[in-house]
Amino acid sequence: MDEFQAAEEAAFLVDEVSSIIKEAIEGAIGGNAYQHSKVNQWTTSVVEQTLSQLTKLGKPFKYIVTCVIMQKNGAGLHTASSCFWDNSSDGTCTVRWENKTMYCIVSAFGLAL
Amino acid sequence: MAEQPVPEIALLAQVLAAGSTEAPALRSSRRGSQPAAPARGPEDSKAPPLLSRRNSILSRRSSFGMGPGSRRPSWMLHRRVSFSGLPIFQPILKTRLENTYRIGPDKGCRFDVERVQRVLEGTLACALGATEYSAQGSAPLALSLTELLQSQAKEVVPPRYKLVCHVVLGQQGQQSLLVASRGLWDPETDTFASASFSNASLFAVATVYGVYFE
Repeated sequence: MDEFQAAEEAAFLVDEVSSIIKEAIEGAIGGNAYQHSKVNQWTTSVVEQTLSQLTKLGKPFKYIVTCVIMQKNGAGLHTASSCFWDNSSDGTCTVRWENKTMYCIVSAFGLAL
Repeated sequence: MAEQPVPEIALLAQVLAAGSTEAPALRSSRRGSQPAAPARGPEDSKAPPLLSRRNSILSRRSSFGMGPGSRRPSWMLHRRVSFSGLPIFQPILKTRLENTYRIGPDKGCRFDVERVQRVLEGTLACALGATEYSAQGSAPLALSLTELLQSQAKEVVPPRYKLVCHVVLGQQGQQSLLVASRGLWDPETDTFASASFSNASLFAVATVYGVYFE
């Protein structure tokens, strides 16, 4: 019974992480238009917010959060990632967000300790 | 009954038949492969030779146990049966690894940032040298690029490190782009390496994160 609970608590729950990321993005760049001078600040706040919320979950994981913000200009963009880890305990979650002037792609990777 | 060259199969057939008809006749203390022979009416003519075969099998089994080439049904190897003659399967034991008592990487075994960065730059230049950006082709290109970079990085990175390889591939235009990342990890053992590449029609940013796994 204890073991089962421990396993539940120590799993990478994609839905939970996904909602955390969405909140962080909305909070940081919710209704803004692309501004080159502010992008630095935006990416920092998105990543920091996501990471602090993930830490609050209190799970035994190391986290890596990546954020890509790109201005909408008709150009194409692809992101890909491949991971060398333990499939049963580690996980990843990617959220794509956009508004009229920019795209934002946030990936969170969780590696079990 | 047809001739059965393998004695075990004959025993198995007997036991299965016995299990369905004469459950109480089997005694749990004995091995399940030996049903009570005298109770079997229709096979009396076959009983004596089978009996002798059975005895010889018993002695064979006791002498050399389980050889590497033996192909017996798994429940026979475990030799535990319930009252009805059906086998009780042993629970599958989870392999438990020994404690290594290591909490950090060895002295010379850190993630070498410069080396990995050089590897990334070289691979990106080789793979994307003169490639043109195309909407359909770039998606699989990005995927294959991550796989390639990961395999290259694996060779250079010391053991006990988990890798996360992230690639951003885009069309070269008049737009601006920013890639940022942050990690919650142990700064003494974990780090990352990144490299970028661009030509006339596309750009690529590759990052490899190395996280030490205790």
